[in-house]
Amino acid sequence: MAVAVTVQTQSFDPGALTNQLTGQDSSCGAVASFIGQVRGGDDLVALELEHYPGVTQQALGRIADEAVRRWSLGEAVIVHRVGKMLIGEPIVFVGAAAPHRRAALEATGFMIDILKTQAPFWKREYTTSGSHWVEPRPGDDDAAATWLADNKDFTA
Amino acid sequence: MTLTIRYFAALRDKMGTAEQIVDHMPGLNGGGLAEWLIARDPAAQALAHPSVRVIVNDEIASRSQPLQDGDTIAFCPPFSGG
Repeated sequence: MAVAVTVQTQSFDPGALTNQLTGQDSSCGAVASFIGQVRGGDDLVALELEHYPGVTQQALGRIADEAVRRWSLGEAVIVHRVGKMLIGEPIVFVGAAAPHRRAALEATGFMIDILKTQAPFWKREYTTSGSHWVEPRPGDDDAAATWLADNKDFTA
Repeated sequence: MTLTIRYFAALRDKMGTAEQIVDHMPGLNGGGLAEWLIARDPAAQALAHPSVRVIVNDEIASRSQPLQDGDTIAFCPPFSGG
């Protein structure tokens, strides 16, 4: 079992991260991943991610550990960027290697959904007319609550 | 007791500072601290919003958690990573 969480300003190669999860653990028959990237539109020019240093890494580690525990993962990886990024650039990578596909897919969904509501990141959008802080989407809390229905005590 | 208060993202913009140190009588929790700050500065009204999260000494906490001398408490807008 291996967990790796990283918060970094520089961009990353999602393919390379996926390759690191593939073929590493002979007990794992499935690898799943999610990549979040900067979406264009609405005059967006750039996105800036702020975080709470230290607390963020701790939260990501607890989320990955919980995913490993629940789905008996071989590996769990979370890479999240902070700082300014442009349209199309990757923001976050979440990946899981598991014995079977359902576990890998569910663990990946769990990690990204919980990360959105329990890790201290904040997005600021820069548009052609200025900048503003991004409000969470109304469905984000619901998505996280669904995963935590049978473990309400979990806190990142 | 002495408390270090940190503000993040939109709350930092509203408060006009990232960090302040305050002295207060013992027996305060996060909710009480927010009320005390609002009484001193109307700009702090945003701290009362129920969506504001509190992190005490690097751990996500509830507003009712008692604060101790030397604590660092952060007021955080709803998280929006990913």
